[in-house]
Amino acid sequence: MLELSDKDIVKKIKNGEIDYYSYIVKKYTTTIYRFIERKLFKKDDVDDLVQNVFISFYKAIEKFDEEKPIKPYLFQIVQNELKMYFRSYKKSLPLDERIISEENKEELKIEDFKSLNIQEKRIFKHISDGYTYEEIAKLFNKPINTIKSIVRRGRLKIKLACASKK
Amino acid sequence: MKKLENKILNKIYRIETKKTIRQIISEITLIILIALSSLFIFSVIVEILNEQTSFDLFDFLRDDFEIIRDNFFNNLLLFIQELPLPLIYILIGLLLLLIWLLFTLSKNSNKIKNKIVSLYKFWLK
Repeated sequence: MLELSDKDIVKKIKNGEIDYYSYIVKKYTTTIYRFIERKLFKKDDVDDLVQNVFISFYKAIEKFDEEKPIKPYLFQIVQNELKMYFRSYKKSLPLDERIISEENKEELKIEDFKSLNIQEKRIFKHISDGYTYEEIAKLFNKPINTIKSIVRRGRLKIKLACASKK
Repeated sequence: MKKLENKILNKIYRIETKKTIRQIISEITLIILIALSSLFIFSVIVEILNEQTSFDLFDFLRDDFEIIRDNFFNNLLLFIQELPLPLIYILIGLLLLLIWLLFTLSKNSNKIKNKIVSLYKFWLK
């Protein structure tokens, strides 16, 4: 096997000789696999994540500067993939507006909303009036994700208030 | 680990095959479409000029050199004035686009050829 540097391999791949990508895969799979394996709780997902890392790198190889080393770039992708993985597994309350089901609605009393601050109350009022998150974000001049976070926090507060009451 | 490596490469090749096929088909279709449209517009222009009998302006070319020399610029100017300019502009635009597409295709031809060879080696050997 010819001893090629990472720079030459990237150059060749950029030139369409994609069979050289197998050199990169063979060279870094074990390292990346071990790294991800140590971070994950579910071992079944390691394969998928390693695959995603190499696919992401392949998709980005056209823009990749061959003068730079591959390894740090690959590990940057690993970090991003891990972040996305943990985010998808993070327990969160659904942001669906119907979180308070019809039958529970009657049980909610004004005291449950007392734990909310003025801004949260106003946002909940808008939601109950049928405004979408986008419209509320425009009204409050805030990013949509901020509105979603406020709603999530508010729901948690209501949930806690209901739980403490029981 | 070998199994995982093969799985990764398989996926990469599948992505690249789709991408390359899509790229080749879209580029060739675009080139054919532009070439056909240019040809159509060119035929329309010729048809218009024929109807206007604008080509008669060049009949003087069969005469003596003296007459040609005296009338050439005059007749050429008249002929240009009779050209359907909007269609000419469209034709020029299409031809420039065609040239640019052919240039990029020829520039990338080596890359595409290498890709096809790699894909062929992977899937068919």
